Amino acid sequence: MRERLLVAAAGIWITVAAFAAPAPAKPTPATPASKAPAPALTTGCVDCHLALDDERITPPAKALADDIHAKTGFTCVFCHGGDANAQDQELAHDRKKGFLGKPAPRDIPGICARCHSDAAAMKHFNPSLRVDQLAEYRTSRHGKKLAEGDTRVAQCASCHGAHGIQPVKDSRSPVSTKRVAETCNKCHGDAVLMANYKLPSDVYAKWKKSVHYQARDEKGDLSAPTCNSCHGNHGAAPPEVDSVANVCGTCHTVFAEKFKGSPHRVPFEELGLPGCVTCHENHEIVHPTEAFLAEGDQGKCGSCHEPGSNGAKAAAAMRADLTQLDERIRAARETLARAAEAGMEVSRIRFELSKADDALTTARTDIHRFQVAAVHTTASAGLAVAREASKAADSALAERDYRRKGLFVSLAVILVAIAALLLKIRDLKTGQPPPPDLH
Amino acid sequence: MAKVQDWARDRLGLDQLAYLAQKKEVPVHGLTVFYYLGGMALFLFTVQVATGILLLLYYRPSSAEAFESVQYIMADVPFGWLIRSIHSWGANLFVGVVVLHLVSVFFLKAYRPPREATWITGAVLLFLTMGFGFSGYLLPWNTLSYFATKVGTDVPAQIPGIGHLLSRILRGGSDVTGATLSRFYGLHIAILPAITTVFLGIHLVLVQRHGMSVPPAIERKGKTPAMRFVPDFLMRDMVGWLIAVAVLAGLAAFWPWELGVKADPFAPAPAGIRPEWYFLWTFQGLKYLPAKIAGIPGETLGVLFLGGLALVFLLVPLLDRKRSRWWDIAAVAVLIGAGVLTVLSLLPMKGAS
Repeated sequence: MRERLLVAAAGIWITVAAFAAPAPAKPTPATPASKAPAPALTTGCVDCHLALDDERITPPAKALADDIHAKTGFTCVFCHGGDANAQDQELAHDRKKGFLGKPAPRDIPGICARCHSDAAAMKHFNPSLRVDQLAEYRTSRHGKKLAEGDTRVAQCASCHGAHGIQPVKDSRSPVSTKRVAETCNKCHGDAVLMANYKLPSDVYAKWKKSVHYQARDEKGDLSAPTCNSCHGNHGAAPPEVDSVANVCGTCHTVFAEKFKGSPHRVPFEELGLPGCVTCHENHEIVHPTEAFLAEGDQGKCGSCHEPGSNGAKAAAAMRADLTQLDERIRAARETLARAAEAGMEVSRIRFELSKADDALTTARTDIHRFQVAAVHTTASAGLAVAREASKAADSALAERDYRRKGLFVSLAVILVAIAALLLKIRDLKTGQPPPPDLH
Repeated sequence: MAKVQDWARDRLGLDQLAYLAQKKEVPVHGLTVFYYLGGMALFLFTVQVATGILLLLYYRPSSAEAFESVQYIMADVPFGWLIRSIHSWGANLFVGVVVLHLVSVFFLKAYRPPREATWITGAVLLFLTMGFGFSGYLLPWNTLSYFATKVGTDVPAQIPGIGHLLSRILRGGSDVTGATLSRFYGLHIAILPAITTVFLGIHLVLVQRHGMSVPPAIERKGKTPAMRFVPDFLMRDMVGWLIAVAVLAGLAAFWPWELGVKADPFAPAPAGIRPEWYFLWTFQGLKYLPAKIAGIPGETLGVLFLGGLALVFLLVPLLDRKRSRWWDIAAVAVLIGAGVLTVLSLLPMKGAS
């Protein structure tokens, strides 16, 4: 529907523009779409490039058929210049007619920005689309390097493609949320290329081990972070040390808030430690466990706090609280499962126990306050709930036993009654005639 | 004490009742065991009435409270679990015994004159029993019962002309809601019991009036020996009832009737929804029908066929006047067909679990 509207809008605009403004005497390839005349949708460029059947120039012409720009009326000359109506190659590729050929990588952002940074032009096609991509790009590592003359870095076409460009929301687009990580990895997984920038080439592999990837892959949660969620897209850059917590905090708000008020915030800043990443890593962010609080090399705290230090003791105390609560919840759940299997009605106890689960989750977030008392208070409340649930689960099992004992007693009584009846039946003289009629 | 007895005898006609009880006889032959099914059905019905009345004290018939009230009965009311489990298990045993009773009466040809009305009232009582089961299934307002009722109340909608109206009347609207629950509650505890009391009364009076039927093959052999109903048959009946009580208590203690999860009308239908076992064959049969048969919707034909089958079943004594063996063959075919469909409907669930 949206595409149809775009095509319709483009069609109207092209018709009005074509009627109002005759074709310029000197076609300029760098004319923004808002001011440009509209050539025919199919051009001589495509006809020739398809007919030539050259593996270098034919595929782009083919890909153009499914390109968002081609669909909205843009033709080759908008980016490449030249004369689309010329029947001769030399005339079509005439530099005097603005022919650029294959744009150099350093020119590509500028070519794209002719329209994409022109708010007036973009309004005709997609008013909701941002027009600051070039400005953002210039702040990115990619943009800065390109400005320095490094043409190996990513520019628009590196990620979006040059021909056959799809809207970002289209799953076929290499920058759609499903595919963007693979696209980044084309360069960032290239060890040779990355070596030039002293960057690791295993970030994609590490990300695939993370909870974020698991959420996307196993739960199909496409809102879970991929590369551009944390690094930005056009302004792609690693978050600076002092902004890591802000980046993570855009989703993990509770953790970020608690960390902000913690005694760790200032020392981390002073030591230049990158906030969340210090304990959770950046790409290989695995599911945190109580083991993070272990002493020595096993845990995260041990990397800064010496065994026996106050910090290590605090970590051990917090770990003990969490472990105790976790174990108590598990035990209660197991007992409840046995009771439920025996047919006992335990759904209300389960509901109560879920409050202990909530407390455990809250206590785990309280770790980010780095205050033993905060964790202890929350965990203790959860522990009390879990203890009550355990008691109730034990009572349910005791009730089950009571019922079964009661059943056996009842069955014994019933059996005695049946035996008595059978004895009485044996004594009956079955076949005795009925009494005479009283009437 | 004697004065009280005399007072009661004079006013209640106890002598006549005692005479009738002593005069009543039950034929004794190789198939006498089937005579116990009627008494067993009556006993289980009494259990249902008694446990149902006790459940009424705590059950709250609204979509907001029904599930919670049953949960309360199961978890907090002293012996509530026992009463509810006996009521639920008893309902299934009751339906099973009523079906067996009618099947045995059919094959023993007990519907022959002058017992046609006894059969017809018995068949109506079977339909009423199924009505009790269908209406009672929804009352706990859990996911399974909610969606099964949705499917079940869709079936009458297939009847041409009045189907949709019937479905709306059953549901109290276009969908299964709290209004349906109120309706089914009313049916379950007032309307059906009232109708059942009338038919059961007629049925029992007719049984007393005509006595027990002796199967034709045994009748042809000459005079059949008999036993007194009181106490000979009644005591044997009581042994059966005590066994039924033991079975119900065992089922309640070891497999208390599950409550499930509260119905959520906005949730998608879960996998494995099914009606009670005695409706499974119709449920499965309707599923197998093609979308169209000779241009008519398959389900419509299926529902009409089932209606026709119920009518034939009701009118067996009037239709089977010549005692043709074909009736037995047809009945066996229907029973085997229903059994196979029931088994087929259970197979995928077994595989999925």
